[in-house]
Amino acid sequence: MIKKLLLGASLALPAITFAQGFQVNLQGQKQIGMAGAGAGTAMDGAAVFFNPGAVSMLKENQVNLGVSPLFFKSAFLKSGSSTVENNVDEIAPPFEAYGVWGPKSGKYKLAIGAYTPFGGLVNWGDEWSGKYALISLDLKAIYIQPTLSVKITDNIGIGAGFVYNHGQVKLQKAVPISQANGKDSKATLDGAGEGYGWNAGIYFKTLSGITIGVTHRSKVVTKLKGGDVIFEGPDYVKNNFATKFDSQLPLPATTSLGFGFYPSTKTTVAFDVNWVHWSVYKELAFDYDNNNNTTPPADSKSPRNYGDGASIKLGINQQQTDKLALRAGIGYAFTPVKDGYVTPEAPDANRLILSAGLGYDISKKFSLDLSFLYEAIKERKQTNIETGLNGTFKTHVYIPGIGVNYKF
Amino acid sequence: MKTYNNLKLLLAGLILTTAACQPTIDTPAPSKGSADFSNYIAVGNSLTAGYADNGLYLEGQQNSYPSIIAKQLKAVGGGEFKQPLFTEAQSNGSGYLKLGGFNADGTPKIVPVADKLAGRGEFDAPGFGKVQLYTKFTGDINNYGVPGIKLQQITFAPYGNLNGYFERLLPGNAGTNNTTYLDFVTAKPFTFFTNWLGNNDALGYATSGGVGDALTPKDQFAGLYNLLIQKLTANGAKGAVATIPDVSAIPFLTTVTVKALLDGAKKVNPAAQAIFIQTAAGTRAATDEDLITLSFNSTGLFGKPDAQMRPYGLHPGNPIQSQYVLDKVEVANARDYVASYNATIKSIAAAKGLAVFDAYTFLNGLGGNGIDIDGVRVSAKFITGNAFSLDGVHLTPKGYAIVANEFIKAINATYGSSIPKANLADYRAVRFP
Repeated sequence: MIKKLLLGASLALPAITFAQGFQVNLQGQKQIGMAGAGAGTAMDGAAVFFNPGAVSMLKENQVNLGVSPLFFKSAFLKSGSSTVENNVDEIAPPFEAYGVWGPKSGKYKLAIGAYTPFGGLVNWGDEWSGKYALISLDLKAIYIQPTLSVKITDNIGIGAGFVYNHGQVKLQKAVPISQANGKDSKATLDGAGEGYGWNAGIYFKTLSGITIGVTHRSKVVTKLKGGDVIFEGPDYVKNNFATKFDSQLPLPATTSLGFGFYPSTKTTVAFDVNWVHWSVYKELAFDYDNNNNTTPPADSKSPRNYGDGASIKLGINQQQTDKLALRAGIGYAFTPVKDGYVTPEAPDANRLILSAGLGYDISKKFSLDLSFLYEAIKERKQTNIETGLNGTFKTHVYIPGIGVNYKF
Repeated sequence: MKTYNNLKLLLAGLILTTAACQPTIDTPAPSKGSADFSNYIAVGNSLTAGYADNGLYLEGQQNSYPSIIAKQLKAVGGGEFKQPLFTEAQSNGSGYLKLGGFNADGTPKIVPVADKLAGRGEFDAPGFGKVQLYTKFTGDINNYGVPGIKLQQITFAPYGNLNGYFERLLPGNAGTNNTTYLDFVTAKPFTFFTNWLGNNDALGYATSGGVGDALTPKDQFAGLYNLLIQKLTANGAKGAVATIPDVSAIPFLTTVTVKALLDGAKKVNPAAQAIFIQTAAGTRAATDEDLITLSFNSTGLFGKPDAQMRPYGLHPGNPIQSQYVLDKVEVANARDYVASYNATIKSIAAAKGLAVFDAYTFLNGLGGNGIDIDGVRVSAKFITGNAFSLDGVHLTPKGYAIVANEFIKAINATYGSSIPKANLADYRAVRFP
């Protein structure tokens, strides 16, 4: 009589939210030191990411490797509460690796890059007040991009690369089904998938000496097939719970316009404007092997209704001595997440970006870069439309980075 | 090189200092506003006592909404809050129901818990019947919740002999008590109170299908409510009161539906046309406006043929008995009384400037698919709704925490206080085996 009490598929696991917070602007140690501006300059192998058109303008063949341990510090104050909750400290390791090769003073360069343009690692623990919305998320997208860049004239370079993405996601949340010991159940989604896209750019040296870059990185829809659904809870629910899911990670396209100014032979000023096409994502769908929606969790289609995101970045590189370069930068990013859609996965808001960095030539061939990036994400008070989670988020991100370069 | 070293130091220092610091968010300063929470008492019935799963037991008491409120009051000058708890050895109190598992068709097996009880025999009250008694509680009390009590009974002197839960709190043995509930709760000083009496004045009628109990007359309700609030506020105490929920807002009357019964019957006999119910106006076919009690589900009567082979509930000659049905007329009757009670509660509260938690409106909001609170879907659905315990009337710890937060919201709004809300994630819903 009390039909299918639990099997009514009333239990939904909301999908992952993609947000600017997942965009990792850490693709080159020199550029990080300049707040992430680099579409209009040809500084090193990171041009594979920033502007494939600029790769052909690099003087030397080179390999660039770097890593940026990311400290994501978020705080949450639930409405009406007096207890501020913090996420658990975990360090995400975005990295980048580039190789650029071409005949000396030739017209073209071949390059390959591996970098992490999107990712997120946030763990709030399984005790906090928003645990039904999220316990933890570990999202990684690793792009591998073989690239060809050609110098059409001495002043114009064009380049394009094919992007292969390996995406991984692990999402964990509490489910409000009490176990015999009174503890909540837990559900984990763990999946990996692949996606494809491209990255192309054009780079001009103008007569006045200013350099200009225009680039577009396509969206990369990464399909997750047959990811695991792991339910930890009462046997009865577990036995009737889906075990696999399909979804996709829709990583958005970015269009950039960048400028390089050279007030002196020792000074480079880079200025970028980026437009991130988040608005294409109106909803996110999760499909479970749940017998046509008769067992939990229910297939979900979560509305997102993002606007586009945008950022402006200004960086300076000052060649202080023959060996030492100092860098600094400032930027501002506008969130694509509208009110009501902010989640603990990426408690997004407009953010201020400050950076500093230095480069040091150890020898003719080897050089070292250090960078530090700080992002202050504005305090934002929100009631989430999907979960009802109501409170104020505030986040600071600290990212020291180190990179080595080898020229040949 | 000097510049480089200095910079390196600067950078290293920057990393160390910033990497360690957390962002901060300003929290509102705790304030008691114009109220004094130093000595809080809770007046009410089973809901106030922490009754759940058809019984009063230690875990339920520990998660009663007054105890949750009291915990939150600590931040704004709240004092100690003592509850008449059962001992660890008798932690299952009156006994209660738990979820034992599920049948193959997905229906729950609800089984009684009958060990570690606190019973101390029965009292045979003259002209009333047997009263189950419980181990006495001695000591200070702040939570005066007495399961079963009606507003109608708060001035009835012999009541301490007729309700084992009240008898348990009184010093005297059953048969010797003549302290009214109203005198009992107001005997010691207090500075703040919550009051959620009145549910049973309508609920007893509703859960017995409109035949086992009577609705308290409206004017009697108004008179007693007035008296109660007069007495509670006589010494300047401030407080909060709650309204009475709609009878059809509880899973006890919404889980077993006429449609579900008919659908079930059709599976066995496709020719089944209607469900028949006994009403005051005679037997008739049931409609969606007639509510069947959750208790009917466990009787096993449905479909059982009588001597003339007429299946129970499916034949006009063998209808579902009146005590399992709150028919349309009875629903309307109960609603009319509840509306009157609530008008009384609100007007008296307004006259005294008390905070009001409108439980009627709030619980009606949990109908249908319910609402999302901090990532938890909360509805009036049985078991899956997270708010109601296995008896379909009383709440789960999570449900009581939600109620506590609604009281806190009303108190903060009325007295300008800033009592922090309880964290729902700390409280469980229905326990699964």
